Amino acid sequence: MTGLGPWLVALVALIAIWVDIPHHQFDLPFGCPGICLRIGDRYYQQEIKTHLGLDLQGGTQLILRLQTEKLPAGSNTPLDTLNEQARKVIDRRINSLGVSEPVIQAIGGDKILIELPGIADIEQAQKVATQTAFLEFKVPDEANAGQFKSMDPPLTGANLKPTFVTFEGQASSNPVVNFEFGSPDDQRWVELSKQYVGKQVQILLDAKQISAPSIREVFSSGKGIIEGGFTTQSAKELSLLLNSGALPVPLEIAQSSRIEPTLGAESVRQSLIAGAIGLLLVVAFMVAFYRLPGVVAVVALAFYTILSYAIFRLIPVTLTLAGIAGFILSIGMAVDANVLTFERLKEELRSGKSLRTAVEEGRKRAFPSIAYSNAATIVSAGILFYFGTGTVKGFALTLGIGVAVSFFTAVIVTQMLLHGVIEIPSLRKRSLFGVEERASDARRPEPRPVGA
Amino acid sequence: MLFRVVEHKWWYFLVSGIVIVPGLVFLLLGGLKPGIEFKGGTLLDVTFREAPTASAVHDVMASLGHEEAIVQRAEGGRLLIRTEQLTPEEEVKAERALEEKFGQDVERSSQTVSPSFSGELVTNAFRAVVAASTLIVLLIAFAFRQFGWGAFRYGIAAIVAVLHDAFLVLGIFAILGYFLNVEVDSLFVTAILTIIGFSVHDTIVVFDRIRENLKLSAGEALNPIINFSVMQTMVRSLITSFTTLLPLLALYAFGGYSVRNFALALLLGITAGTYSSIFNAAQVVSLWQELEDKWRGRGRGPRPAAA
Repeated sequence: MTGLGPWLVALVALIAIWVDIPHHQFDLPFGCPGICLRIGDRYYQQEIKTHLGLDLQGGTQLILRLQTEKLPAGSNTPLDTLNEQARKVIDRRINSLGVSEPVIQAIGGDKILIELPGIADIEQAQKVATQTAFLEFKVPDEANAGQFKSMDPPLTGANLKPTFVTFEGQASSNPVVNFEFGSPDDQRWVELSKQYVGKQVQILLDAKQISAPSIREVFSSGKGIIEGGFTTQSAKELSLLLNSGALPVPLEIAQSSRIEPTLGAESVRQSLIAGAIGLLLVVAFMVAFYRLPGVVAVVALAFYTILSYAIFRLIPVTLTLAGIAGFILSIGMAVDANVLTFERLKEELRSGKSLRTAVEEGRKRAFPSIAYSNAATIVSAGILFYFGTGTVKGFALTLGIGVAVSFFTAVIVTQMLLHGVIEIPSLRKRSLFGVEERASDARRPEPRPVGA
Repeated sequence: MLFRVVEHKWWYFLVSGIVIVPGLVFLLLGGLKPGIEFKGGTLLDVTFREAPTASAVHDVMASLGHEEAIVQRAEGGRLLIRTEQLTPEEEVKAERALEEKFGQDVERSSQTVSPSFSGELVTNAFRAVVAASTLIVLLIAFAFRQFGWGAFRYGIAAIVAVLHDAFLVLGIFAILGYFLNVEVDSLFVTAILTIIGFSVHDTIVVFDRIRENLKLSAGEALNPIINFSVMQTMVRSLITSFTTLLPLLALYAFGGYSVRNFALALLLGITAGTYSSIFNAAQVVSLWQELEDKWRGRGRGPRPAAA
């Protein structure tokens, strides 16, 4: 250990504690919450906070599948482009709902993950996510009286300017949606009115008729209104859908889950209790069993907890129920490296080595086992992260981070503390290390196997 | 204190057999019940202030055309209702009907997985298990590369130990599924993979010690070295498992309904992993050596006569 090491470890601990403290009240010069960096024109800002998954804060999660099989034959837009367009449309719709921190992500080429924290109304979530909002204007079909046909090419809502709701009729009680075509569809709209003046046209949303107005006069611009017996609410919804644009491909729900916020809060409470009790049990055991090194392990464990939590807040890792379970599990694994080292330490002491040599030997000889066993766990965690979805990913991430951090705390921090502790004369008692005083050494059997 | 861990290996194998075989029987009987994640459908989790009986809830579901609904009561007024895939409209309709009949519910959550997507999830889980196993085997091979050809038996022994633990947990969940309708989900698969990682890491520590002791006392017979190595690492194995079991016990007892089965799987698997790393893994290596010696002995036997 160099003289610089302890200072670095202390610095890491201080930073970790700072990150862990909720709601930073003091502002850095930039006046921003958390971390802000400005390098030249680049500006990086990240708020430091604990991100709770949907299962802990309540909300709705949907996994949507792009139904490419429902696209008209011959359409050859690449899957990734469709996915991106669909996400943009959904993003606009969700933004207007005012959901804080929604998640909209592509998973695999053909799926989209949506998380709406705080929204437990699954019907609303479904509407936002799966309503195609494909608007089409159809004209009378001369061949079949009373029927409507698509124009050639179809006149759709693809080229609409932002729509808005106004109130018409007596006492302005009748909500209607105002639209205006952009060029060149505005010309087609005027042409249409010339051709079909006095006749009915049909306005369809997702292949369902929403109104069939009669054209009373020839239009002079690309403007028009849709009246379909709306309530204020439904008119606003339609306007919103039209403004967000139509989905480029129909979507279906592959998976949905929803949790009410109260249930999430209950889970947080239970996990915290379980975690605290688990930690206390481990602490009590380590001190009782290993005495002084046990206390050192507890300090390392405290460091471990603080540092892991800081990393969760910084990356940020979204904590889910399974993620917390992974973290709680990693508490137990974190002491493994300590146990390996301490058992070696005891052995070396029993074989008659001095404290200083024993500490050094214990570290050296326990290291390969610690490295391999951590590698095994990190490999499993990596695989789980790669193949898993949702809950599994959360578990793998916290377990993996936990094991990696424990490697740092259990190897470096524990060693540093042990080396420090044995320099304090009053603590240099073998009994404090759980080993008999030297007089008994002679009675111990030879530690190596002899003969067959 | 010195157990004769190698000499008594058949007893230890027998103990493993007694614990694992019943589970395997139920595994073959199809006891392992896939949860909705793996077979598709909807799970409604509704908590009422006063829980109605399962059959009353089933009647309500049936009246809405969901005759297939399986209703299970959990603690604290909690009801789990499993049906085929419901649309969000159907889901809300069912909840309204339940509320009307049994009073305002306190809280609820639901999960729906379409059958096609669940197929994908099963494939993913399967892939993860295959990938994890392959990488673990490679890791073992790497850890024992210095053993040369001899590494092979250590690798096989570690894998036997891992399979022991995985099948023990699978078997017990098959029994639980058979009698109590306990279902397995992706968290269960996660638990199995975690157990595999943990078990391998326990076994590696033992084998690492064998390697070290073999180097220190070249030319010694294998069995006493194994015995001694297992004894040397036993305390560490027991303590490590114990410190891992402590937080898991807390999770099982206080972590709430949703993680209980997950914690249970891990508890079982880690206990099994500790047993197998102490009482099975090195013993398989020893058995291998004994069989090899016997085979060589026989192979050598007739040769002088022929010569």
